[in-house]
Amino acid sequence: MDRRQFLRVSTGAVAGTVLASQLTSVLGQGGLEGEDIANLNKGLQQTIGRSITDLTAAKEVRLVVPSTAESGANVPLEIEVGLPAEQVKAIHCFSDQNPSPHLFSIIPSGVLPFYATRVRLAATSPVRAVVETADGRYLLASQSVRVAVGGC
Amino acid sequence: MAINILIRFNPARPRAGEEVRINVLAQHPMEPGTRRDAAGNLVPANHISEVNLQMDGRLIAQVKPGPGTSANPLFAFKMKATRAGQVRVTVRDLNGQTGERTADLALV
Repeated sequence: MDRRQFLRVSTGAVAGTVLASQLTSVLGQGGLEGEDIANLNKGLQQTIGRSITDLTAAKEVRLVVPSTAESGANVPLEIEVGLPAEQVKAIHCFSDQNPSPHLFSIIPSGVLPFYATRVRLAATSPVRAVVETADGRYLLASQSVRVAVGGC
Repeated sequence: MAINILIRFNPARPRAGEEVRINVLAQHPMEPGTRRDAAGNLVPANHISEVNLQMDGRLIAQVKPGPGTSANPLFAFKMKATRAGQVRVTVRDLNGQTGERTADLALV
């Protein structure tokens, strides 16, 4: 394979993987690195009394986390919901691999449906933002974070 | 000792109707309860478990952080700056310690 052809093939492959990872993060299902559904369900049940199958992946929920974090002790995280403020009842956040998967909950009653904080992650795992709407739906956004050194 | 809190607005003086970000920083170790000290004993969990954000006495946001929030945590919110007012933040940790801080939001 000459150099030109190699470049063409490899850029295509890279673009393909990037696209695929974006797609899975939007759909929030299967194939995320470090997934631990059993542990996640434990946290979901304790906090909102639901399991992962009761949640619907939604584009309205925008979860911003770095794809890699050097230290799991301090991972910046941002959640923004593209819905009117009065429709958002609560925002919850979970991490699959943490000893206690529930990270935080926020109940907005006058602020915009936005929240930013810094979290601890024990190991490489998906972070899940779960939005509880006023009409009783649960919306989900997931993204995997690669953690070099655990922070729990 | 009361928990130290810092409140910053971004932009510092928003225009009326503009979105303003409220950054709240607290000084707290946020012990998750999974760490061991030098002698190998578990350090008991002690993290902020309740944050209340008020605007002129009305509760506008309530946060319940779990053990998975970093030390010296940041809590950031956004709201529409419709009028000037006083923002009050109160926090409480698992040991029952509390902290309180107020900041005046001024419009341009």
